[in-house]
Amino acid sequence: MDTMTYTTQSIWTWWIAMYLFFGGLGAATLSVSFLTDMYCRPHRKLVLWGALSGVVMLAISSAVLFAHLLHHVAVIYVLNPLVLFYQPHAWIAWGTQFILWMMVWGMLYALPYMRETPLFLRMPLVGTILQMRFVAWLSGCCLKRRRIVGWLATVNGIGTTVYTGLLIQSFPAVALWHNPGVPLLFTVSAFSTAFAYLLLLLNIFIPDENDQDIRHRYERMDVILIATELVILFSFFNYTLSGSESGYRSAQLLWNDMGWLVGFIGFGLLVPFFLELKGVIKGWGSRLPTVAAALLVLMGGYMLRHYFMYAGVYAYPW
Amino acid sequence: MTHYAMVIDLNTCVGCNACMAACAMENQTPVWKGSWRTYVHEKEIGTSEMVRRRFFPRLCNHCDNPPCLTVCPTGATYKRPDGIVMVNPERCMGCRACAMACPYDARYEVTYDDIKTGKEFYGELQRTSPSMDKCSFCAHRLDRGLKPACVETCVGSARQFGDLDDPSDPVTQMVASGVAQPLMPHLGTRPNVYYIDDMKRKG
Repeated sequence: MDTMTYTTQSIWTWWIAMYLFFGGLGAATLSVSFLTDMYCRPHRKLVLWGALSGVVMLAISSAVLFAHLLHHVAVIYVLNPLVLFYQPHAWIAWGTQFILWMMVWGMLYALPYMRETPLFLRMPLVGTILQMRFVAWLSGCCLKRRRIVGWLATVNGIGTTVYTGLLIQSFPAVALWHNPGVPLLFTVSAFSTAFAYLLLLLNIFIPDENDQDIRHRYERMDVILIATELVILFSFFNYTLSGSESGYRSAQLLWNDMGWLVGFIGFGLLVPFFLELKGVIKGWGSRLPTVAAALLVLMGGYMLRHYFMYAGVYAYPW
Repeated sequence: MTHYAMVIDLNTCVGCNACMAACAMENQTPVWKGSWRTYVHEKEIGTSEMVRRRFFPRLCNHCDNPPCLTVCPTGATYKRPDGIVMVNPERCMGCRACAMACPYDARYEVTYDDIKTGKEFYGELQRTSPSMDKCSFCAHRLDRGLKPACVETCVGSARQFGDLDDPSDPVTQMVASGVAQPLMPHLGTRPNVYYIDDMKRKG
């Protein structure tokens, strides 16, 4: 029985990469914008943009998964919070709950700011809802317990980012996936893409000269996270080179692929790393290099998950 | 307590695929798209005069530590006290995590389209909702005192079915002697399908 067949899978493909990417990015975006608001300085625009786009990303992530389910009605079993008691070993159950509650706490954290923003109050249906007595009371409660709501959102956000890695770590047949490095890699990548996304917001959509300190801090954090990601990827490279044939074949698939090597490692990590490093050390005369770096990090974040799904090699003994 | 297991002798499997046909008819699997609960792989092994063809039947291994059950978010995959890993189609939402977790490629999907085609193909279809699917050791037959359809139909007696908790069962004795081995035991799945290797026999 020692004649093995090695093959990749075609069950979870690009759509799961989208699910993992938007799930991690959305959750980390919410967490970072709330932490900034709680501990740097109150920032209404950042919270509104971060919370609303983060929730939209989480919704896209969930919608992509939902669209690919075979039996949509049965999703009710994972939407029930009690699922954590009867299926505590299933990471999708945890992930669904994390994403669901992340959206709830995210919206609650942003609610007081929404009630202060004329744009939302003028919106036909949204304005009416925001001015309802119950919503006003809820907003007041959230304002009073701002840090509790913020931390509930943050904990769920971190849980979501870790979950995206734990999910594929739970498949024991594939050496590339079934190791403790995957949740770490996906968490670091999720936060790196979130900092990149928020840098885009702060440079293009809500530019403010007073936010230079926040932009600088985000850029510095992103440089550290990209460097960490490179170290983790280097250890992955060494891990897959020997130990199991499945891992070795994954390494061959990844490191012989120009998309991975040039596209992801080169343009998704190294180029933005050096662009942001110069931005942190000496600064740039224009916003363009920072924006370009942020866009490249976002592209790299998706590519990492895309290639990871396609490079998982199963070893069948037939 | 009963603990069901299967032993497959690769020396006596002749690749007639009768097991696949019997299983498909018994369990109404979507064969029109190449999905089977049990499948016999063919492989040519060796070179020139030493070449031979090997037939390798595979199915769900009904693991004692099944990764498909661990990852199932809805609880659709469950284990019976007799060791059989089952899928409840009504409860399965079809996320396919079980198929990703299975190291034995035992799972396949049944879609809404398959149910429609199945009604035309089999006349009357037992299944009403789409889900992931896999071998159940013909649990419905076992409950009636019958053997699984693939075991019943195997012309070379390559498949043998028994109870590992019965020391006098030939299956238990083959497993205990070490002549029958599980697939990829290093993964920690503790499978209950064992194989008797054919590699020492010349073609």
